Amino acid sequence: MALTTQRVDVPVIVDESKCLEKCVACIEVCPLDVLVKNPDTGKAYMKYDECWFCLPCEKECPTGAITVQIPFLLR
Amino acid sequence: MYTADMDPEVAQWVEMLRSPQLDERLVAVKTLQHLGNEDAIEPLIGALYDENPTVQEIAITTLWEFATPVAINPLIECLSSPHENVRSEALSALKELVSTNDLMKLLDLLQVGNTHAQLNVLVLLRKIHDAQALPYIMPFFESENPDLREAAVITLRYLNQVVRCEPALALAKDPVESVRRATALTLGHLSDAEVVPLLCELLTSDEDWQVRRNAAQSLDILADSAAVEALVKAMDDPEWQVRKFTARALQKTPDIQALPVLIKSLADEYSDVRRDAATALGKLADPKALPPLQQTLNDPDMDVRIFSQRAIDAIQKSQPEPSNV
Repeated sequence: MALTTQRVDVPVIVDESKCLEKCVACIEVCPLDVLVKNPDTGKAYMKYDECWFCLPCEKECPTGAITVQIPFLLR
Repeated sequence: MYTADMDPEVAQWVEMLRSPQLDERLVAVKTLQHLGNEDAIEPLIGALYDENPTVQEIAITTLWEFATPVAINPLIECLSSPHENVRSEALSALKELVSTNDLMKLLDLLQVGNTHAQLNVLVLLRKIHDAQALPYIMPFFESENPDLREAAVITLRYLNQVVRCEPALALAKDPVESVRRATALTLGHLSDAEVVPLLCELLTSDEDWQVRRNAAQSLDILADSAAVEALVKAMDDPEWQVRKFTARALQKTPDIQALPVLIKSLADEYSDVRRDAATALGKLADPKALPPLQQTLNDPDMDVRIFSQRAIDAIQKSQPEPSNV
């Protein structure tokens, strides 16, 4: 899987102001294990640009910090 | 407190669930949901009373996943919550958890709860189907809140063994359309003497097409020949959904009066109406319908062609064999 270079281009966008440092809900539910915590900030981000658009990360986030941008053709 | 005999992994999150920091409580309740350890049930019930609605909502979801009857009473209390999300999640959980044993608790809440709780309890009573709830539901037919009137009349439809309920009939003239729509469907499950004339009136004169369609659906269920005249009139309704369900109702009560309108409906703009009219003509078994039915064998819609052929077969089968003498 390709590493992401631009975090704004990936389909899973994390609002860092809402992401809780101790929470790992999105990381645990991701079936592709592409979400990880940034060790510096404790916030989640999408490390690998690979997504099934299955949405549990968005649904499980207790603060609504995650938005999954679904490609137009999959909507 | 409740952490003494607990799995240490669970205990740390239970401890965090009592933190004054909202962030920590959110992480704790979410983690307890993911751990799925039943040691956390009691602390999670405590979290239902958290000051933050998101913590409450996650706690409800988790208790729902445990499907434990211990949580039913606290979840019933959540039905009165001022927060929409909490009420909605508690209702979804209780829809799967409540049983006949919880009927009395729900009926108590129906009498003393706020409007939110009453609406939710009326929905839950549809899952229990117990006719004992009828006397508790009836006062809501006269409620000033149209949502409560609508919920009550829908719930009436789900109560086993209830076949007569005169106070519900008045809701057929309710000023609110959604209440009349629900009432029109509920009347199909009642057998009061006034039900069929009332449904005929709704079918032919109500200004809302969904009320008229629901009345046709109910007349389809009741299959009463007294409704034929109104059904014949409704076959000229401007809305195709009304004509479709009217044609279906006429399948149950074949009457020669309906022959001209059914033949006319074979040329309806909507194929569903043409199909159901063809079937109704088949049930009528009058050979006068054969020539128009044969014309519909070239209909652009495949369903219509198939059902017309079946209708023709049914009519031909019902005719006496011609004598060879």
